[in-house]
Amino acid sequence: MKPFLAIAGALAALLASPASAQNITAPDATVPEGVIVEHPMVHGASLEGNLEGNSADREVMVVLPPSYATSPERHYPVVYYMHGFAISGRDFYDYMQVPTAVAQNAAAGREFIVVVPDALTKMGGSMYSSSVTTGDFRKFIAHDLVAFIDSHYRTIPTREGRGLAGHSMGGYGTWVIGMTHPDPFNAIWAQSACCVSPRNETVESAAAMSEVPIEGVDQSGFGMRAGLASMVAWSPNPQKPPFHADFPLGEDGKVDPMVIAKWAGNSPLAMVAGHTGALKSFAAIGADVGDKDGLVTNDTLIHQELENFGIAHEWAIYDGDHVNKIGQRFSEVVLPFMAEHLDMGE
Amino acid sequence: MLKGLTAGMSAIAVLAAMPAAAQDSARIEWKTFQSPAIEGNLEGNSAERGAYVVTPPGYDENPGKSYPVVYFLHGYWATPQMYQEMAKFEEAVQGAAEAGNELIMVMPDGYSKLKGGFYSSSPTVGDYESFVARDLVQWVDANYRTIPGSESRGLAGHSMGGYGTIRIAMKNPGTFSSIYMMSACCLDPMVLDAETAARIEAMSEADIANAEFGELAPVSTLVTWSPDPTDEGFLKADTGLREDGTLDPLVNYRLAANSPLVLLPQYLPALNGLEAFAMDIGDQDFLLEGNRLFREELDRFGVKYDFELYEGDHGNRIAERIRTEVLPFFANHLDAE
Repeated sequence: MKPFLAIAGALAALLASPASAQNITAPDATVPEGVIVEHPMVHGASLEGNLEGNSADREVMVVLPPSYATSPERHYPVVYYMHGFAISGRDFYDYMQVPTAVAQNAAAGREFIVVVPDALTKMGGSMYSSSVTTGDFRKFIAHDLVAFIDSHYRTIPTREGRGLAGHSMGGYGTWVIGMTHPDPFNAIWAQSACCVSPRNETVESAAAMSEVPIEGVDQSGFGMRAGLASMVAWSPNPQKPPFHADFPLGEDGKVDPMVIAKWAGNSPLAMVAGHTGALKSFAAIGADVGDKDGLVTNDTLIHQELENFGIAHEWAIYDGDHVNKIGQRFSEVVLPFMAEHLDMGE
Repeated sequence: MLKGLTAGMSAIAVLAAMPAAAQDSARIEWKTFQSPAIEGNLEGNSAERGAYVVTPPGYDENPGKSYPVVYFLHGYWATPQMYQEMAKFEEAVQGAAEAGNELIMVMPDGYSKLKGGFYSSSPTVGDYESFVARDLVQWVDANYRTIPGSESRGLAGHSMGGYGTIRIAMKNPGTFSSIYMMSACCLDPMVLDAETAARIEAMSEADIANAEFGELAPVSTLVTWSPDPTDEGFLKADTGLREDGTLDPLVNYRLAANSPLVLLPQYLPALNGLEAFAMDIGDQDFLLEGNRLFREELDRFGVKYDFELYEGDHGNRIAERIRTEVLPFFANHLDAE
């Protein structure tokens, strides 16, 4: 619970009115001259039939670089950028000023298409996991979305032309999609990844989760809601409405070790040892976190685990918190890193 | 040769590409090839991997014919040679062919320094999972007249091989279309306690070499699922034992992350995409409980599979059931020409 509670503190400042609007919103992003933004609805066959009723049609922000309109033959690398918990893809795109990042990099000769998919679910976030309850968001990103973008835009439609990045829950998504679906992407970068260590519960914290009625999830607070979102993503159970998930508190009043094991099976830290081949297949890996982010200890653990397995990666702890430098670092660190490791076309 | 000459020029061309004797019956061969997935492992398991390949009767005489392939994964504490001695795969393939089901059968070498790589991916042991799902399949398709598509590729295995079957099916969708798990081990998560971790820490190389089955098995799974290249000891594994005698829970989280029961919800699309899925186990098998729990989970998620509980123990009817159940199952579900 602790990492999420720490995020909750960092995010509180962002919330205009937490009680009514449980998801973070942001004013429209500035779109610099020449940058084109489209927002197609992308159908995810991998999301069909999910038990939460999350739409299989997702809004996707597609930010095209300035030369896209003027160089009709040119093909571009694509960076897929995944948002965090309790925010939509569009609001994340707005908040992080993605069009400005694209324009700044283009001005320096690094032209990308940046794609921000929406993974906001009923519980506040898909965790970019594969769950019958929330939908198979891993395959949605790695397969459905990539196929759509390659067939609708002038991309460099190869592994060498694609990068994957994300913030917080999206940083977590970067790790787990990277490990389980490495083939589409050449380079990955996780910003302030959440949920790196296996999530555990005490009897008290588990009991508190069981107390939340499904209609009360939105008002249950950031940490609780994130816990419930993790639960429906990682221990789904179609036989247990209305959450369609196994709660960590067992019928015997103890924490159910099988539920904790299932959550652990979705933990990047526990997954590294079994996915070194996938991780080593990337041209480059990067991760960073702010020194005032509650997640700094956790993110340092996965950095150390990668070191132990000899998996080369860039790693930085910088002056910042969970949110205040993310957009800036996406522009100044993540995209330049991608330019070094992706096929940039011409 | 004389007969060939009298039959005409075209027959000579055929004979020239054939071994001296015609293939009247199924033939088993031991072959080796280089597996990049095994290269660089810290135990020194050879990347020059072996596999038995059984071709059906008539394989040589019908150079225009291609066949479905059944891959079979052997169990722990055993070499492929021990399984061949037990199951006589060429006889099984011969019997299938006589029943009208011509297929190629392949059994790769899943043995390791600690007597089994669990068809998993470990820097310490090697990436046995990709050795099977990628390197072996590519090598077989390149060197035998297979029908090189998932609809004509089946995967089966016994015990550790049953574990490998479900693991590989979940993590490598689109490679095999039908799977058959026999008496699968290791389905529910293993849990290491501090006492066992301390016992493992105290083992010398000689202790490992002389260990009994029950002593070695938790060590073999530990090096596979909790590998640690920075371990100063020879095991290159993280037991998680701390100086104060307690256990780092991360070790058990790593073990959990390799349990099919734990992984199942994440990999349902792969299982639901199978053409056919079967599992069986003997009613006196010591692995009944893990199989029961796994079936409960499959049922919970509505996965379709065939199951049989038969009279037998962990090993006494495997050779028989490969003939009476496994090969007929694949004959039903794999596409032939």
